[in-house]
Amino acid sequence: MTTLDIVMVIVRVSISAFVPLCFLAVCVTMERRVAGFVQDRSGPNRAGIYGFRAGGLVQNLADGIKLAFKEDIISEHVEHKFLYVLAPIISMAAAIISFALIPFADTLVLDGKAYVMQGIPWDTGILWFLAVTGFSVYGIILAGWSSTNKYSLLGALRSASQVISYEIPMGLAVISLLIVYGSINLSDIARFQGQNWLGFIPMWGIFLQPLAAVIFIVAAFAECNRTPFDLAEGESELVAGFHLEYSAMKFAVFFMGEYVAMFASSAVIVTLFFGGYNIPFFSTDFLIRNIKPVAFVMLVILPVFMFYFAKWIRRNNRSQYPRENDPREAEATVYIRCFWILIGVIEVFLLAILAFAQPDTAAAHLLVALMQICTFLLKVTLMLFVYVWVRWTIPRFRYDQLQILGWQKLLPLALLNIFVTGAIVVALG
Amino acid sequence: MAAKVKQLPSRGGTPAEKVYLIEIFKGMGITLRHFLRNLWDNSNLYVRHYPEVQPNIPAHWRGRHRLLTHSDGTPKCVACFMCQTNCPANCIMIKAGERTDGITEKMPVSFTIDLAECIYCGYCVEACPEDAIRMDTGIYAFTSSNREEMKIEMDEMLSLKGGYTEEEYQKGLEDE
Amino acid sequence: MTEMIKLFVNGEEVEVESGKNLIDALEKVGIEIPHFCYHPALGADGNCRMCLVGIEEGRPPVVPACKTPAKEGMKVLLDADHIKKIQHDVMELEFINHPTDCPICDQAGECKLQDYYMKYEGTESRMRVPQVKKRKVQDFGGGVIHDQERCVACGRCVRFLRQITKTGELGLVNRGDDCRVEFFPGRPINNRYGLNVVDLCPVGALTSADFRFKQRAWFLKRAESICHGCSKGCNIMVDHNKEKYEDDIIYRIRPRHNEQVNGWFMCDAGRMTYKSENDNRLEECTLAGTVRPLTDILADAQSRIEKASKALFLVSPSASLEQLVAVQALAEKTGAAVSAFSDGYIVKDDGDDFLIKDDKAANRTGVDLLSIAKSRTHFDNMAKEADVFINFDNDLSRSLSEEQIGKLFKDTWVLNAATHPGHLGTAMAGKAGASVALRSWSEYHGVVVNCDGIAQKFVGGVMKNIERPDIVEIAAGLGSPATGAAAAWALVQKKIPALAEFGSFLELPAEGVNLTDNEAGK
Repeated sequence: MTTLDIVMVIVRVSISAFVPLCFLAVCVTMERRVAGFVQDRSGPNRAGIYGFRAGGLVQNLADGIKLAFKEDIISEHVEHKFLYVLAPIISMAAAIISFALIPFADTLVLDGKAYVMQGIPWDTGILWFLAVTGFSVYGIILAGWSSTNKYSLLGALRSASQVISYEIPMGLAVISLLIVYGSINLSDIARFQGQNWLGFIPMWGIFLQPLAAVIFIVAAFAECNRTPFDLAEGESELVAGFHLEYSAMKFAVFFMGEYVAMFASSAVIVTLFFGGYNIPFFSTDFLIRNIKPVAFVMLVILPVFMFYFAKWIRRNNRSQYPRENDPREAEATVYIRCFWILIGVIEVFLLAILAFAQPDTAAAHLLVALMQICTFLLKVTLMLFVYVWVRWTIPRFRYDQLQILGWQKLLPLALLNIFVTGAIVVALG
Repeated sequence: MAAKVKQLPSRGGTPAEKVYLIEIFKGMGITLRHFLRNLWDNSNLYVRHYPEVQPNIPAHWRGRHRLLTHSDGTPKCVACFMCQTNCPANCIMIKAGERTDGITEKMPVSFTIDLAECIYCGYCVEACPEDAIRMDTGIYAFTSSNREEMKIEMDEMLSLKGGYTEEEYQKGLEDE
Repeated sequence: MTEMIKLFVNGEEVEVESGKNLIDALEKVGIEIPHFCYHPALGADGNCRMCLVGIEEGRPPVVPACKTPAKEGMKVLLDADHIKKIQHDVMELEFINHPTDCPICDQAGECKLQDYYMKYEGTESRMRVPQVKKRKVQDFGGGVIHDQERCVACGRCVRFLRQITKTGELGLVNRGDDCRVEFFPGRPINNRYGLNVVDLCPVGALTSADFRFKQRAWFLKRAESICHGCSKGCNIMVDHNKEKYEDDIIYRIRPRHNEQVNGWFMCDAGRMTYKSENDNRLEECTLAGTVRPLTDILADAQSRIEKASKALFLVSPSASLEQLVAVQALAEKTGAAVSAFSDGYIVKDDGDDFLIKDDKAANRTGVDLLSIAKSRTHFDNMAKEADVFINFDNDLSRSLSEEQIGKLFKDTWVLNAATHPGHLGTAMAGKAGASVALRSWSEYHGVVVNCDGIAQKFVGGVMKNIERPDIVEIAAGLGSPATGAAAAWALVQKKIPALAEFGSFLELPAEGVNLTDNEAGK
């Protein structure tokens, strides 16, 4: 094992373990601010460090500190303390490792050696995801049962039956996809979607399998216990559902686990249906071969984008009421300068690549991998936005409606989809 | 006054609506429109930028309690315990004693309201036969770091001034 | 059994006892006739005219119910329009000069004027002339405060002082709207039953200086009890209340009607016994000078009783039958002696022929019925022999001086279970023994036998913040066979057969059981 091997293992594992955790902040902030904007209010915009509020990110910091320092209560009536403590850990761990097999960039070739850009370079692919998300049900059931609380237990029962029933249409939707892609390896699937169809339509799963996409996304919402399928924690009838008895950091771990699961399932949806890490129309090979023009285009686009971004910050980061010497304008100036410095640094790197790098060198491979990671994260962020967007649009289902939708609508549709897909694939030979 | 009832046509019967996804996308379009508008320019939010922008409190709004005084500064309260009797939250604690200023015979020796327990229903104001307690200070924000501080005493309530003129207050009562 | 007669009220037939006036006779069957001046103990005066009722086919057609005996076949009209008009007009007359200062009136909530206004009048005043001003806070002496403006001139107070106490301090002077109750200058109310006028007054004209402004009547919880102030055993109502964040305390004691014992009244001293129930109570249980849980003290005491050559238990003559029996049973089991020595409870020449008795112990007859020794010689002899002495709430400092107590128990281990400090005098304070804070009579239930041999139950409704044990509990903790209230009551029934028919003390009739009668009769 060379040093490079070890470094690459560390890099890949860190990305697949810590990116979901870092995206917690993005998820929570996005949840709050999108909810605010959708409802014509502003969301968290007060918590700040010396007046720097970072668009609401500091609020998460405050909440995190609060949760970490709160008294961790285990009620007297909890009989199985070990299982009670184990439950949030299972929930969180299952969520994190479900992301481990998702490729966040194309296979990276360094020194003639190919590195699969996944947390764990196995090829169990989508099966791993299905298996691990199924495992996360244990966290919920253990939490609900060991809490010795009727609301918790009801919440856990609902949640468990919901997750299990939606796993079936989800798995069937995946089957029809696998018929098309011909592989369960997510890297293969992502690479497949890098091709273009008729030269201008990317061969994304959403275009190849629209029905499977709808079924899978709906089922993924249900798997994550997100609105409109969040009956497990239905506040109006179950107080908080399975995590009712949890407090402080144990509650926070549940909470984080939910958002990590949301991130992971967004990543899977992106990988299966939205081309994964692929930049539309530009295949990895094409980018590596034309590294200089790519760098040049980036060199031009980034400042232009930054110019408009700065204008947006100026417009929105100010007090919306009469105020002398508005500190928020000063705050905006600081942000804009920081961003410009960041852009400047990137520009220097791009210039260096433009000046010295040759196609098909390590630098070119790295730049493309970085661009693909950014593309992947951008797509996942957009998918996360859809999660949030749906939550603040659609009201909660009734429980019978939920089960009817799962068993009587999605399941037959998924089966039908398999037959149709299979017929077409056989017909096309 | 009869409630205004607006009859809305029943929805959800047409085949397009039964597919459900179409209607969901319509709804998501509405929320997305709001989101993008506010993301583009957040100056149109229906938000009062509290605490910098203070709300305008109407006169019949029930805020913090005060005890009224006669023109010579003595409390109007005669410690009849009507407010304490009526208080649904049981947050008024009065101790009565002999009155020394010669107006009547009885006055409160101590008059404590536990604001942490008060539910601001205003029954004490309605029950008072002497118009000695009102909730017209217009003070709506009070915090403290412990429970004891939330108990306000007679002196404090006597020293509070009403937030409105007598005419505004009486008109506020009518509005209510 | 009194003879029953039939008469008609508003056309409906009712059966009432004969030989009573209409107010009393109809009240027994639940029909109320409004009245101010009539009181069963004071007789009819007929001055308020509130009780006027119509008699159909009678002459005169309208009569005062208080002066009209119930007769067979009488046709009484209560809800006829002209009777309602009379009631309304009488009420309006009473309100002409009434100050309506209910907010500051202690009677509010139990005031006849308020009740009758709601029931019989309910209209706004038509008076447009200024009201007649009279004196407001007038000290009548004896703890009675008079408000002339509120007075309805029913004369109940005047009649009470003339007929019952025969002191006659008060009188009605002047006529018309200047009529008021006054005392002769320099001679205020000065007798030991003066506060009864406060209860008699149907309105807020007479209020108690002691209860003045302490509580509103509607906040008070009521417990039917027996006065423990002397051996008469007057029936009382203990009015207590637990205010938020405070202790449950008694605000006043009122007499409760019991024709057999105290009639409608009680003495002023008895009313004031509530103060000692509230204040200066023993609060902690100590063992050898340090505060310890009760179980530790009882365990220690129990081992000492077992080891002792002779133990002496001193019970109080005010203790209930259950408590006496519990201690007696404990003594029988452990071979200890029981004494109820309490000569100091008898105050010579203090009693009178009405309610106050010389003997200030509530249950001395009960002590005798249970054959508990109470002589000085017995107590002295036993005290000399004993090396463990347990005092069950007997205020020995009344009977013996501090030196005497100190000398008697010089070498004795003493457990002093008491409601109040000082029962063994200050001499015992420094002695290493144990002390237990007890519940007092307003906090436990039981039965006491008064000087006339009438066994009466009482209910303790007061729930103090500090949880204190009852003597029965302590005796049980020391190993008495009477392990609880029910077991103690069973023992009582064994010793006093006259009580055997009652399954629990609560089944005793409200007017009490006359034990001496039963023995003489059977």
